[in-house]
Amino acid sequence: MADETKLAGKQQEIALDAVRRADLEMRLPAVAPAAPYPIEALVPEVRQQTPAVGQRATRPDGRLHGLGQTRYIGDLSFPGMLHARIKRAGVASARIVRIDTRAAEAVPGVMAVLTGREIPVNSFGPSYQDQAVLADGRVFHAGDGVAAVAAVTEQVAAEALELIRVEYEPLPAVFDPLEALREDTPKVHPPNGNVYAQKTIRKGDLKAGFAAADRIFEGRYRTQMVEHVSLEPHAAIAEWDANGRVTIWCTVGRITLARADLSRTLKLPLNRIRMIGTIVGGNFGGKNEITQEPVLALLSKKMGRPVKGVFTRGEEFTATTTRHPIIMDYQTGVTKDGRILARKVRLVLDGGAYCSWSETTLGKAAILASGPYQIENLQVEAYVVYTNKTMTGAMRGFGAPQVCFAYESHMDDIAAALGIDPLEIRLRNAFVEGSASPTGQVLHSVVVKESLLQAAARFGWKETRS
Amino acid sequence: MTDVTIRVNGELRAASVPPETTLLTLLRERFQLTGAKLGCDAGDCGACTVIVDGKPVNACLMLAAQADGRDVLTIEGLATRAALHPLQRAFEEHASLQCGFCGPGVILSAKALLDENPDPTRHEIRDAIAGNLCRCTGYTKMIDAIEHAARELRKTASDRLPVERGGLP
Repeated sequence: MADETKLAGKQQEIALDAVRRADLEMRLPAVAPAAPYPIEALVPEVRQQTPAVGQRATRPDGRLHGLGQTRYIGDLSFPGMLHARIKRAGVASARIVRIDTRAAEAVPGVMAVLTGREIPVNSFGPSYQDQAVLADGRVFHAGDGVAAVAAVTEQVAAEALELIRVEYEPLPAVFDPLEALREDTPKVHPPNGNVYAQKTIRKGDLKAGFAAADRIFEGRYRTQMVEHVSLEPHAAIAEWDANGRVTIWCTVGRITLARADLSRTLKLPLNRIRMIGTIVGGNFGGKNEITQEPVLALLSKKMGRPVKGVFTRGEEFTATTTRHPIIMDYQTGVTKDGRILARKVRLVLDGGAYCSWSETTLGKAAILASGPYQIENLQVEAYVVYTNKTMTGAMRGFGAPQVCFAYESHMDDIAAALGIDPLEIRLRNAFVEGSASPTGQVLHSVVVKESLLQAAARFGWKETRS
Repeated sequence: MTDVTIRVNGELRAASVPPETTLLTLLRERFQLTGAKLGCDAGDCGACTVIVDGKPVNACLMLAAQADGRDVLTIEGLATRAALHPLQRAFEEHASLQCGFCGPGVILSAKALLDENPDPTRHEIRDAIAGNLCRCTGYTKMIDAIEHAARELRKTASDRLPVERGGLP
């Protein structure tokens, strides 16, 4: 009896195995191998080393990437699809006197032309709606779009752009963020001032802290503007169908936010807009809000055909968000043995022409500006200002890398001046378990010192310095 | 219009295109081979890399007419129905690609290298993919994958792909 059961079990196993193998043989290479996967749910204890760490992991989309089968927006096309291009201003600050699109419209193959005036609500933005979809009357930076063309091919659209005549009346412009702070500087968005968001953090008694210090160090650090340069440019396809519903295929990483922005700009109820977030060829924070989507939707509405837009690499640099350049002034009071008693920081973020994600970046930069160090007496003042440059927005870290560069450079300067080992001065000041952040958050699982010591031991910090 | 006849992935294809058409546009828009990507349109990023007569080229810089009569291999021609190319398998297993946009170009640059040099050093691999930018910065895993694929290919040197057997004489 037991043998029979065993035999039946064996037969079943063989049959199952045959089925599995047949299934595997039928699969195209585009189907991932049946890799063993842990079935029992693993709920690790805090700080417990789980088997996931150190294991080789593959991506579920890795095979399609390698086969060239991943469909990015640039790879999609629909019957009757038109190609759109946007004319960029090329001037940083000007009033648009007139736009003449007649010659462009006359080009064979050009199907529709759109200007800012035709956009139902011509403003958007995640914090402040200070950005126009297409400039209407006023240009705030050189990458502003002033008109758009939809044509049968991208090349025809590009040719038509050259024929659009725009007459500008130049206006004063601001390019330096420190200059933008001054009262006598022209306002980028009059009547509003150039400082459009600020944050102040105060902790302890700054005066007393500096008074007790043996030495006070000052330093100014600045970082440059950085473009995300995701390999895939911003791309989208819009189709406004005969039922008055819009479908957008887009690379935007926040499709619900994008849908709200589209609803606002197109004056269309949310339920008439369908966003399809496709696979994205790199975002890094640069594809977190709408760019050309309303333009494509309106061009599609005009023609009743799907319209696709792909930014050129040049547009990526001039017309999409970048990382904030920050001018960072540090003043730090320390004891002779390198303990920080007080720190005063002023951050001036160059926000470019529009707010975009500047508020978020400002907050994070301000909170992190003092670094992972115990500083009882602290003051951080952070401002973000308008300038007539490409707008700055979200990019990996939201302001954290910039201030890290500043406070660590400052730390090295202090260490060198006091003749203390740079590692040692950090160990004397670093957060410990239960330290409070500048905004009063009590920190747990703090391993700054342990990490520093382990890293130093592994790459031979002492040896290379002796 | 210019008439162009090329062998793409072992298959003869013909098209009549405006003379300014690039090889990349021809492949992507006329032949629907969208594996090669348009990244910069200036020959800087390498996302459009294809292999023409055994040499990796930036398809955005080569005119379609210049490819007339030549043998072109795109990423679509690398795998067979039966198996992935060892490079593709290695890239998958090493999780070398993140967003994947640069992937087809990198793999084809690596293929061209391994065809010429089956046992490259890590330095030679770096050199071969120097023209392919990856903004997700996954170069290390790509180099690991290419090293691994080279070992695999040396083991099965006789097992050539049908595409390569069917190349132009």
